[in-house]
Amino acid sequence: MGILEELAAKEIKRRDFVKLCTAVAAAFSLPAGFAQDIALATEKAMKKPPVVWLEGQDCAGCSESLLSTINPSIAELVLDTLSIRYHETIMAGSGSVAERALEDTIKEGGYVLVLEGSIPKADDRFCMVGGRNFKDIFMEAAGKAAAIIGAGSCATLGGGIPGATPSQGRGAIEFVSDRSKVINLPTCPVKPSRLVATIMYFLTAGKAPALDQYNRPTAFYGTLIHDNCPRRNHFEKSYFLTDWNDPKQKDYCLLLKGCKGPKTYADCPQVWWNEGANWCIGAGAPCAGCSQPEYYAGFTPLYAKQDTIDAGKIDIDTIGEVAVGVAAVGAVVHGAVRLVAGKDKK
Amino acid sequence: MAQKITIDPVTRIEGHLAVEVEIENGVVKSARSQGQMFRGFEVLLKGKDPRDASHVTDRVCGVCSGSHQWASALCLDDAFKANVPDGGRLIRNLILGAMYLHDHPLHFYHLSALDYIDVMAVAKYSGNDAGLNAVKDKIVALVKAGDTAPLTPRYKPDEFSVNDPDIVTPAVAHYLKALDIQAKAKKMAALLGGKIPHSAAIVVGGVTNLPDMQALDGFRSLLAEVKAFVEDVYVKDVVTFGTGPLLPLAKLGIGAGPGGYLAYGAFQNSSDKKDMLFPAGVITGGDITSVKEVDTEKIREYVGHSWYKDNEGLHPTEGKTEVDRDKAEGYSFIKAPRYDSNAMEVGPLSRMLVAKPAVLMDLITKYGIKPGAVARHAARAVETILVANAVEKWLNELTEMVAKGEIKVHDTNAWKVPDSAKGMGLTEAPRGALGHWINIQGTKIENYQLVVPSTWNLSPRDNKGNPGPVEKALEGVPVPDVNNPINVVRVIRSFDPCISCAVHIIEPDSNRILEFQIG
Repeated sequence: MGILEELAAKEIKRRDFVKLCTAVAAAFSLPAGFAQDIALATEKAMKKPPVVWLEGQDCAGCSESLLSTINPSIAELVLDTLSIRYHETIMAGSGSVAERALEDTIKEGGYVLVLEGSIPKADDRFCMVGGRNFKDIFMEAAGKAAAIIGAGSCATLGGGIPGATPSQGRGAIEFVSDRSKVINLPTCPVKPSRLVATIMYFLTAGKAPALDQYNRPTAFYGTLIHDNCPRRNHFEKSYFLTDWNDPKQKDYCLLLKGCKGPKTYADCPQVWWNEGANWCIGAGAPCAGCSQPEYYAGFTPLYAKQDTIDAGKIDIDTIGEVAVGVAAVGAVVHGAVRLVAGKDKK
Repeated sequence: MAQKITIDPVTRIEGHLAVEVEIENGVVKSARSQGQMFRGFEVLLKGKDPRDASHVTDRVCGVCSGSHQWASALCLDDAFKANVPDGGRLIRNLILGAMYLHDHPLHFYHLSALDYIDVMAVAKYSGNDAGLNAVKDKIVALVKAGDTAPLTPRYKPDEFSVNDPDIVTPAVAHYLKALDIQAKAKKMAALLGGKIPHSAAIVVGGVTNLPDMQALDGFRSLLAEVKAFVEDVYVKDVVTFGTGPLLPLAKLGIGAGPGGYLAYGAFQNSSDKKDMLFPAGVITGGDITSVKEVDTEKIREYVGHSWYKDNEGLHPTEGKTEVDRDKAEGYSFIKAPRYDSNAMEVGPLSRMLVAKPAVLMDLITKYGIKPGAVARHAARAVETILVANAVEKWLNELTEMVAKGEIKVHDTNAWKVPDSAKGMGLTEAPRGALGHWINIQGTKIENYQLVVPSTWNLSPRDNKGNPGPVEKALEGVPVPDVNNPINVVRVIRSFDPCISCAVHIIEPDSNRILEFQIG
């Protein structure tokens, strides 16, 4: 490749990279100039920031979700942007080759630790890797991590679905002593845009973004799904979907089908899944509330209308500063929902 | 003297799996597949609203996402006596069909190929192709920067590892391209399912999504790109490898299973439940000329070597999940399902040996390929084409319905939970035969049992001590160097396991774990 071509290629690369940084800045509502800072900071760190990705009681869905990234391409992410030292699902090595990669990285320290899946609380032996209790492996890696990201519902808060099983799966935050190191990114699976943006933010700012009381970045979890739902106007008019076949009802409110949107904080209505393809409510399915600590045990039955739609277990007083205003608005909305729900019973 | 190797974790599979193999005179004498994770979905579902099952069980696996939702919905359809309208059936087929198009190329390029190619051979590429030189530059740059994770560390390439730069370089280029393709296939499924992994749209009675033309157009344009990749790149690569450098492995039938093949069948082509893209069938004793009908009454799950309280072997409808982690004979959280007492291999090879499409059978005859690791990759590639063609046909049918405004997606009458009912849902996940069973009492789940593909394939010994399919497939696999059990992981991964794995080398006398040398 000649020098001119090489420069041209580099310029394209750099433009893509700056595009990614701009997206990160936008995600956190940072001022426009910040994208440049992110780019500079990341480039200045000559070495690719190391990432250790541990899978506990998981389904690999969060890994798969990261692999849904189209722009920037996952190849760029995996090979050019991050140095993924240990990841059971994608790495080349197996057995002791894999285990040594993990040991070496832990010795170095300063990596971003991503936890996928939960850690069983009932019996450490419910999840073993390399002949060791997964909990011990996690604790060792957590000790020297610069930041710990709980990716997906299982690795955060109430442990998602494993949290409701006899294994009593729980998220990272239940086990580490320094909770300030933990950034929780619930939803089932983790949304890749949130994950990538959070890692990039951390690498640039050297600290976690603003978090709410559940250690979730307020940028992604600051608003109720219900408040931003495109079906909200139908809710206000008490148009509730009862028949999925009826074209008239296609965009009606899913409250009667069990929607947990009025209790769930996440940016799903604004940032759709799979590169903007769709989201649960967009496909006519009620929100299951997978970004909340109540998920799953506190939200079953998923497809039945909630008896009471109120603030429930969301603690308005202790929620993070930024979220207070939002929660207050939410509380007013909940009152309205109660009214409508009552109306529906007639 | 026999040496034991434990590969723990077996990586590039879903979940936590350890495999212990005993090696004598350079070949595997016996193997034990050890599922290292207990999650207890079946226990969790007890007492819940049955409609939750399709949402909850999808979380069993995030790789073949949608498969459990589908099986569970079929199981609930049976219990609720639902008549899923054609629109609902087609949308389910399209979501799951897209997931097959995602899964199979991902398995070949990202989970398996690194076992067969020496990635670093790319550095020796001397051709003129600009795209391939870009790949070379990329890999060389990574090596120069001293940071090739996650492509390294790895097992040392052996005599079956392809190191011809003119084969390896395009393969690595396709590895990168396939990353993009698998994401696009997931996007197809998300257009109809809401999101992927863990689609939201499949429920008892049909689907929740009444699609519009815009979604179908988006699906169609992505399908064109993905289908072209499957036909022009993926299948060609599998054939190039399988009939070229890997032909010796293919002819030896390295990694052949127990000779029992089971397919439940899947993808209804019409409202007739027997009209399937993948027909159901059973093959026993390795006699592929005789395909028998599936009789699910012949299924029993044994726990003699599993960490559960002992029983004599129960049908899934009577299945119990009572953990006993201290059981002395136990070595796995996986149960041992058997069909008429036979260990059964499930997955693409089973489906294709039951269906026998000419394109695969011709390859097998022409090159003298025996069932085994390479044949599994070939079967997987061939069925990907079958699925791609069928998806196009189903999409056309659905488009016509939407255009006419004559589309029904859900059986509204089947939304109310029955007071008491039983149901069975059988289908094919990309990894193989998948069955869900439910018993509803007092409108709640009384019992829910799943028998998943990897339970069949990775099962431990049964009560009679007979090994499971992967355990059997590993017997006789050459391991000339105990420090480099690359053939062992090749065989394990050819089954596309869906639980995380582990491998260490243990000397039986001292129990000392030998360390692998990084090549």
